[in-house]
Amino acid sequence: MSKGKDEMRQRLASLSFTEKIKILEKLRDRSLAIAASGLRAKAVSDQTPASKEMIANQRKED
Amino acid sequence: MHEAGSLSGLLFSRFCRVRSFVDNGFVKRTIEMLNALQADGVIHHYAIGGAVAATFYLEPAATLDVDVFVLLSNPTGTLVSLTPIYEYLKARGGIEDREHIVLGDWPVQFLIPANELETEAVAASVPVDVEGVRTWIMLAEHLVAIALATGRAKDYIRVVQFIKEKAVDQMMLLGILKKYGLLPKWQQFQDKYLEGAL
Repeated sequence: MSKGKDEMRQRLASLSFTEKIKILEKLRDRSLAIAASGLRAKAVSDQTPASKEMIANQRKED
Repeated sequence: MHEAGSLSGLLFSRFCRVRSFVDNGFVKRTIEMLNALQADGVIHHYAIGGAVAATFYLEPAATLDVDVFVLLSNPTGTLVSLTPIYEYLKARGGIEDREHIVLGDWPVQFLIPANELETEAVAASVPVDVEGVRTWIMLAEHLVAIALATGRAKDYIRVVQFIKEKAVDQMMLLGILKKYGLLPKWQQFQDKYLEGAL
């Protein structure tokens, strides 16, 4: 499976920039849709105290 | 192995059916606005950095905004301002939103190069076409050097991707890292994250 993933990565990397930009737009649309749906908030509420702390530390870094 | 290949092929073909579900041209419109900024002399030059630039060399990775580094046309004194850029873009439909200005539905963050490395990265950027519109992208080696210098977790992940995908010229990268005093940091990074990748 790892080889399959690597192959897919290489194929994605070899797309034209125009095609990649279209994928970027789709990925962004998906991220915004997830944020709007509240799924991410639910996922956060389901996290353990330790994982919440890790995420908070990462946000501070960003 | 054959099954894995078939599965990846299936996923790939689904993933690449992009024309059917995305054809909004938002990035293209954003680039056209950036080019207008340059053509009208508001900025001297610009280059896209960050995740969007990395996508030119690697597989696409999710990002919510576009980082645009600009060299101003007439920088005066030590204080530089993005106000002329914002005023120009707002007059053409751009919407200011905290540190971003939204162009063609994409939040764009304009950044003045903070050091000589970033200035060189803008100056050495390469022209690429997006749907027939020319734009400027930082070289992979500069993206890696900047990510290493910035040093957040997501930057380190990107550096690892560049190295594992062999998307950088090692000699050129080492030259840049040496020039900007990043070799010690690079050595630490290699020891920690790149064991066996080189």
